[in-house]
Amino acid sequence: MSPSLIGLTGVFVLFALLILRVPIWIALVLVGFFGNATVLGWQGAFALAGTAPFDVASAYTLSVVPLFILMGEVASESRLSGELFNAARIILSGFRGGLAVATLAASALFGAVSGSSLANAATMTRMALPELRKAGYDDGLATGCIAAGGSTDILIPPSIILVIYAAIAELSVPKLLAAGLIPGLVLTGLYMLVAMAVVYVRPDYAPDAPGFPLRQRIVALKEPWQFLALFIVTIGGIYAGIFSPTEAASIGAFGAILLGVLGRRLSTADLLRAIENTVVVSGLLFVIVIGANLFSFFIVQTHLPELLLDGARSLNLSGLQVMMMIIFGYILLGCFLEGIGMVLITVPVFQPLVTKFGYDPIWFAIVVVVMVEVGLIHPPVGMNLFVIQAQAPDVKITSIYRGIIPFLIAPLILIVLMFLFPALALWLPKILYG
Amino acid sequence: MKVRESLLVFADHLQRVQLWLAALALIVLMMVTVADVFLRYLFNSPVRGSYDMVESLLVVFVFNGMAAGFFTRRNIVIDLIDSAIGRSATAVLIRIADFLSVVCLGVLAWAMLGPAVQAYDYGDRKLELNLPIYILWVVALLGMAGTLFCALVALSARPATAGIRPSE
Repeated sequence: MSPSLIGLTGVFVLFALLILRVPIWIALVLVGFFGNATVLGWQGAFALAGTAPFDVASAYTLSVVPLFILMGEVASESRLSGELFNAARIILSGFRGGLAVATLAASALFGAVSGSSLANAATMTRMALPELRKAGYDDGLATGCIAAGGSTDILIPPSIILVIYAAIAELSVPKLLAAGLIPGLVLTGLYMLVAMAVVYVRPDYAPDAPGFPLRQRIVALKEPWQFLALFIVTIGGIYAGIFSPTEAASIGAFGAILLGVLGRRLSTADLLRAIENTVVVSGLLFVIVIGANLFSFFIVQTHLPELLLDGARSLNLSGLQVMMMIIFGYILLGCFLEGIGMVLITVPVFQPLVTKFGYDPIWFAIVVVVMVEVGLIHPPVGMNLFVIQAQAPDVKITSIYRGIIPFLIAPLILIVLMFLFPALALWLPKILYG
Repeated sequence: MKVRESLLVFADHLQRVQLWLAALALIVLMMVTVADVFLRYLFNSPVRGSYDMVESLLVVFVFNGMAAGFFTRRNIVIDLIDSAIGRSATAVLIRIADFLSVVCLGVLAWAMLGPAVQAYDYGDRKLELNLPIYILWVVALLGMAGTLFCALVALSARPATAGIRPSE
């Protein structure tokens, strides 16, 4: 059997294991280990299995992951997020659907200090859903806004998934964090347009509400200053080249704790809970990255991307057609895989392929993350939808499914825009880092 | 029955100790980096060896932070099949996953012994801190041993029910 076919078999075995409920990290370790043993022999496989965990756990670049998770957890546990939503609610009042737009704006701003879409969706469900329901909004529209808004979190820096992507694809973390910002903001704008369109078609979904006086709106503008300050110091610091990502993440996490404690928004119990969650979530992510490390090495050894490239060339497929197939593949994968798994399994296979067709790896990374976003919100298994339902069990899952469907058009429009204007993802990294 | 309960209590304590050890490492890592940045920009006097400290503390964090997830079965799984196969078949799959967890952790820990011994034999040290790297390997192996024990207890003494979904 040729190495490429061994690689292809490995990918099929991996998916079989995942469907059989084997945890993602185990599936990656098993396929990676036995695959490497087949290609390199047992000695080589053992050598890799012995060094991969230590290499991953001592990688300076990856120290960003727990620190950004801590920053998001602290922002979520403290009452900062409540103040943020309240400010957005006041500023964006006075028109039909204003509260829906405010929810999306607050989610995007929360995304500026948090790198986890599920944390964003959970926080916004707690903060925004009771207000949306009190104002008479349709459950579907309300939960659709929360789920969609939460998904922008993995595009707007800091994004945990982009940091892990950078580690596995050997790309620059600051460049990827820069590349995600404009598409994240464009996507937030598109979600707002979708929300307004839904309200236009179904005015009964969002009752008209009186606006707050101008003076109160101006006063409310200062409420999200903590979020903006954290974002400017951390991400602005990385963009300006003042801090490395690890330094920025440390200052961000420390700053979030300081703001919470000084503003009496964060009790000791809240802080301990945030730290505990950070440790558990990071531990789970790191074992997956260890597995992905072994799997990725196996894929490289098998030259599977070259097999796919030869296949595409023999079928006379253009780069665009290959990208369309990959995007369709991601939509299918999103039906049963969660985000990190989707990235770690597919990137070692697809990235070499698309770069051979002339696509920029940074641009491709953002396309992949947008597709992961789609996976997070599309029925039947979008994780954000389940998070919302877990937080609000009295909302029917069918209402949540119905509510999210119009929002699915927005990331697909963003993908089209990224094909037409690759600069959406590439302009900022180019300006900042050349 | 008593042995099972004792195992559960011990593993629960162990994963709590490892969790807070990891938390301590994370807080120190954060504080060292913050201090380094402030001292560098304000007094032009950075913390010596901060890069090495981050890498070393990350080893403590990662290898001790894994135990809690394994003990409470919070590893990320695709559970689409659950509703199709029923509760008892799901319990069997959970047990198989527990078993595979133990096997994989065992293989990784075993494979790590070789490079750990090499690090001791060669006497490699961290550049700035001059810390012998084998010490970090010992920390890593101890963390792995604790995690392996927690995974073993999850396999042998915990009921086969799904864990809590972690946030991504």
